[in-house]
Amino acid sequence: MKKTLLASALLLSALPSAAALQVVASTSSMGVLATAVGGDAVKVTVLAPPDRDVHVLQARPSMMVALRRADLLVAVGAELEIGWLPAALKGAGNAKILPGAPGYFEAAAQVPLLESGQAADRSQGDVHPMGNPHLYLDPVRMAKVAEALAERLASLDAPNAARYRAGAAAFRAAVEARVPAWKARAAGAKGLLLFHKDVNYLAALLGVPILGYVEPLPGIPPTASHLRELTGRFRGQKGAILFTDFQPGQGPEFLSRNLGWPKARLPLEPPVGASTEAYLAHIDRWVDGVASGK
Amino acid sequence: MKTPLAGAIAIALALVPSIPAAGQAGPDPRALEEKVRALEARQAESEKALEKLKAALAAPPSAASAEELKRRLEALEEEQAATRAGLAELRAASSQKAPGPVEPTGLVPKSLPLFGSSGPVSSGTSFNPSITVIPDVVWSRDDVKGEAGEILEEADGFHGAHAEEGHDHGHGGLSQGFNLRETEIAFSASVDAYFDVQALFAVSEEGIEAEEVFFQTRRLPWGLQLKGGKLLSGIGYANAHHPHQWDFADQNLAYELLLGGHGLNEKGLQLTWVPKLPFYLKVGAELLQGENEKLASYVGPEEFPGLGEEGAPRVLSEKGGPRLFTGFVKVGPDLGYSNALQVGFSLVSSRRHQEVHDEDADGVPEEVLDGTATLWGVDAVYKYDSPRTGGAGDLVLQAEYLARKRNLDVLGTVDTAVFRQDGAYFQAVYGLLPRLQLGARWDVGGLTNERVRGGTKGAYDSSSRFTAALTFNPTEFSRIRAQYESASIRVDGEKETWGRFLLQLQLSLGAHGAHAF
Repeated sequence: MKKTLLASALLLSALPSAAALQVVASTSSMGVLATAVGGDAVKVTVLAPPDRDVHVLQARPSMMVALRRADLLVAVGAELEIGWLPAALKGAGNAKILPGAPGYFEAAAQVPLLESGQAADRSQGDVHPMGNPHLYLDPVRMAKVAEALAERLASLDAPNAARYRAGAAAFRAAVEARVPAWKARAAGAKGLLLFHKDVNYLAALLGVPILGYVEPLPGIPPTASHLRELTGRFRGQKGAILFTDFQPGQGPEFLSRNLGWPKARLPLEPPVGASTEAYLAHIDRWVDGVASGK
Repeated sequence: MKTPLAGAIAIALALVPSIPAAGQAGPDPRALEEKVRALEARQAESEKALEKLKAALAAPPSAASAEELKRRLEALEEEQAATRAGLAELRAASSQKAPGPVEPTGLVPKSLPLFGSSGPVSSGTSFNPSITVIPDVVWSRDDVKGEAGEILEEADGFHGAHAEEGHDHGHGGLSQGFNLRETEIAFSASVDAYFDVQALFAVSEEGIEAEEVFFQTRRLPWGLQLKGGKLLSGIGYANAHHPHQWDFADQNLAYELLLGGHGLNEKGLQLTWVPKLPFYLKVGAELLQGENEKLASYVGPEEFPGLGEEGAPRVLSEKGGPRLFTGFVKVGPDLGYSNALQVGFSLVSSRRHQEVHDEDADGVPEEVLDGTATLWGVDAVYKYDSPRTGGAGDLVLQAEYLARKRNLDVLGTVDTAVFRQDGAYFQAVYGLLPRLQLGARWDVGGLTNERVRGGTKGAYDSSSRFTAALTFNPTEFSRIRAQYESASIRVDGEKETWGRFLLQLQLSLGAHGAHAF
């Protein structure tokens, strides 16, 4: 039985792979980029479900299946996926996509990050000393990443280089067409209370200050005293409270009730397989959330 | 920059205010680099303007154009002044940081050579391996005066296979009250483009032991990986897990009784293969030294005069390593984002297993056995990942069955003794609340527990245990666990029962690597 299993496995692995470049995206945002840049020339697989916290995901055998076949891995990086991606990579045994190889692409390595250079001290919570990794809510940085991704895809698949560059340019054009409207909509927004440091890039793009966080330290659930302190500090002011679908709602709801601020629970990631338009619509919802605090 | 627009974006990005962290000293090299880029862009603009100015000067001047030229020259001078100011600021930023006592020169990486800097461009200590330290403190209280671990060691059919003295610090033996268990200290790094190395030491109050020290290849083709050194074998599911990855404070009975507290932990080579398939398949084979006390205990050519009858063989055989061979297969279908399943089958063949039984510890063994052993096992793990926060609603079901057969000659006789034994465990861990897990485990050793010697068949009863654990993880780096276990162990045919309460504190300092499935 073992022999037939081995034989059939050998047979299957010898089958020619599909012509399209196999791209594995760690999150659905990275999937958006891969699809926008690669179009039909790539086949995109997304590893992390969009409604889960990628900080705490676990490696699954199916991730290794995807990584084993991959020609390119597109990760957010800056240690966002450190809890599972290195293990999945090791389990996949695919030298082409190991860090340092041409098949490994980290979005965080392509653009300057916010909050880099923090002390690597875990008493300050789940800190990312290399910088805030949640750059995927910043469409301008994403456009820049798309350009870098186009160059990488071009180096892996030279015959399609022109279409990759065109894909990145189209993505950038679509973003740039919307930025003025987003800025206009958010103009005058007083500030944001976030659950986690995940909307910082969008807030920086829109020029809206972040007033505080519902969690007392990154990765530490809200405490009653911290919430009381926040209500005390911001009573009488204006702003908006934003949190994501997987973050617990009690803290934000308490603050919303006590401060009278609007709150919005939004998905952090676009749906798997989202197009550029769907991603921009997803950013639209976040901009609305940011703009609601006037 | 391909287009001015892209340049504008780059400058806009460079100017996005970064939020300085509290306690941050000195310039951030990335921010400095951005500033340098912005200055360079400015300088390029100035140069262009200068070229234009020169071109204009070449033509014969008129009164109106002289006025215009003067205006442009002034603008250019202003631009140059701004660039000089920017450079001065950068110089100040690059030199302002004096090495402090905690960051002596050479330990601080310098990524960007800056004009005026007196420091070397150095990677500092960045080449050092990642280091993790995992202390493990347990408070224990049982109702048999701290003898729970000893009773377990005497379980019928499993006891007394100590070939060598000195290795009895299994994870089951706990004193009443506080225990400092092994602190795991792990180093890992890529050696070069070809090898990764991991070295994991278990440090106890008695000393230090190399638990795992192995290299692993990075670049083998076709999904092959070669691992060598001292390693936890890839058989079963729980075997490759370190104590800090266990869902309970102690090893399950099936492993404890059939493989020992550390599982199958041997020196040797492991080759694994992950083919390109639509489902997960991993095939592995190992060539191991063969020193496991439960399966491949090796004493070597020692003579036992006065044992048994005259004329019968009384010398243990000699066999150099490797003496232990394993093979395993793991299969995992793709069940989407929320569900994961893995099923495995393992086989272990030990070419030499020798047991010296000296029950009364007088230095004269009563029974010496020499032969071979085999073990096979099946394992299955199912994980449900709930969309709720902090692991609430997550479920992990895990079960393994191991069966061992020892085929041994009894020295001093012409008899052969055959032992067949097995063990199993079933466990479930459920995320009760965010960060809080409830676990239950039932484990058993000796469902089959028989011994055939010289044609006479004997059988022992099985020993089993039930365990419940409540685990609170304040963060992913700390863990507090309360565990209660109730065991029923057969010792010399009598049923011995004990209950034990454990309170465990486990901490993980430093870089902490990701865990495999």
